[in-house]
Amino acid sequence: MTVDLFNREFETNKGQLKSYLLRITASVSDAEDIVHDTYIKAVDKLNTFRGESSLKTWLFTIASNLAKDNLRAQKRWTENVTDLGRESAMHNKQFFQEAMHIAATSPQGQFEAKEHIAFCFTCISKSLPLEQQLCIFLKEVYEFKVSEITGILDTTEAMVKYYLHTGRSKMISIFDGRCALINKEGTCHQCSELNGVFNPKQNTQEELMKTDLLKEAATGNKERLFDLRMKILQELDPFTSSAADLQLHHLEHNRQVMEKYMVNNA
Amino acid sequence: MKTLLIILSFMTATTAMAQNKKATTVRKTFSRETSVSIDIKADNAIIWALLTNASDYARWNSTIISIDGKIAVGETIKLKAKLDPKRTFKLKVKEMDTNKRLVWGDAMGKRVYTLTPNPDRSVTFSMDEKIGGPMFPLFAKMIPSFDSSFDQFATDLKKESETIMNSK
Repeated sequence: MTVDLFNREFETNKGQLKSYLLRITASVSDAEDIVHDTYIKAVDKLNTFRGESSLKTWLFTIASNLAKDNLRAQKRWTENVTDLGRESAMHNKQFFQEAMHIAATSPQGQFEAKEHIAFCFTCISKSLPLEQQLCIFLKEVYEFKVSEITGILDTTEAMVKYYLHTGRSKMISIFDGRCALINKEGTCHQCSELNGVFNPKQNTQEELMKTDLLKEAATGNKERLFDLRMKILQELDPFTSSAADLQLHHLEHNRQVMEKYMVNNA
Repeated sequence: MKTLLIILSFMTATTAMAQNKKATTVRKTFSRETSVSIDIKADNAIIWALLTNASDYARWNSTIISIDGKIAVGETIKLKAKLDPKRTFKLKVKEMDTNKRLVWGDAMGKRVYTLTPNPDRSVTFSMDEKIGGPMFPLFAKMIPSFDSSFDQFATDLKKESETIMNSK
């Protein structure tokens, strides 16, 4: 493959690669750095690319290895990350001022429930063991086959299945206990709360009902509800969506909160 | 030919059944040993991962309330079982041979998990627990039977491992 052709192919895959890296690192700067390093490494090793996998799979393999090196040194987040983020934001005037400014001035500053659902999944997925988190995003969001993930993460098919099953089960259980969208007893109402703050003229319930997740919540089919949540993530690019600036600001806030929390609870 | 097929299928069935042994207990004056084994159609790495992920036990194993700690050699885990929910057992992980053998226990006894691959790519899971000592006769009657709990443990492990193995 020539460098010119590679550059064109890289540009085609760059968006997905960047969103994958953002979702597993929860850091815009880390995601951008790893995309850059992936490009450098891929160009350097271009002569070893034999086309045995797709270029997308090869790029995700390089990016995943770089991300793993970066993430292994970091502690995993806690399941209640969104509670901790909320608690901190309530005492942080600057956070809300910045958020309101973004909402008022940025073309990507619109608050939308589905964007928040995706943001929330990104945050909570960081409480899973790293391999489970990577497998879930690769399979459920970026639609790699189990056999491809085996190559990307350099593990066996049996272990990919194990990580997927346990990761999925854990996330289903967490959302079933927390998310008020799918469980009336759920403890987290942030979608509704924030919609009320950023879109005071909207009927929040009507707005939430636009998502299939809420429409089907009453069925109680947990597996199906998880798949619908994944569909929301598949359809959104956290860098280019209409709510990107607002959600990235919120993500950065939660990342800082978790970093402090980890230090204080070490 | 038909007779041969019937004999062969009977032999296969008996071989398969031989891998599954319901829990049995052998009682002696100073000890008691319970063991169970079951044939699992899953990769031994999956079974091993389930057996060594402490925080995940309660999700798939209906005999366990919780296991706190890390299942690694030299570490101590805190196990709460439904058989005796008021007690917390502090157990030391004594041996780990990846995908093959796991041993934990305390001064009273030890539990041994063994995974043995079969030619048909299934794995025989065995669990054996021996408790005892010089004081054993004094409290032997107070310890409940492990048999049904062992059967349930093996059944749960088989179900979860095979569900994962057959997932797409």
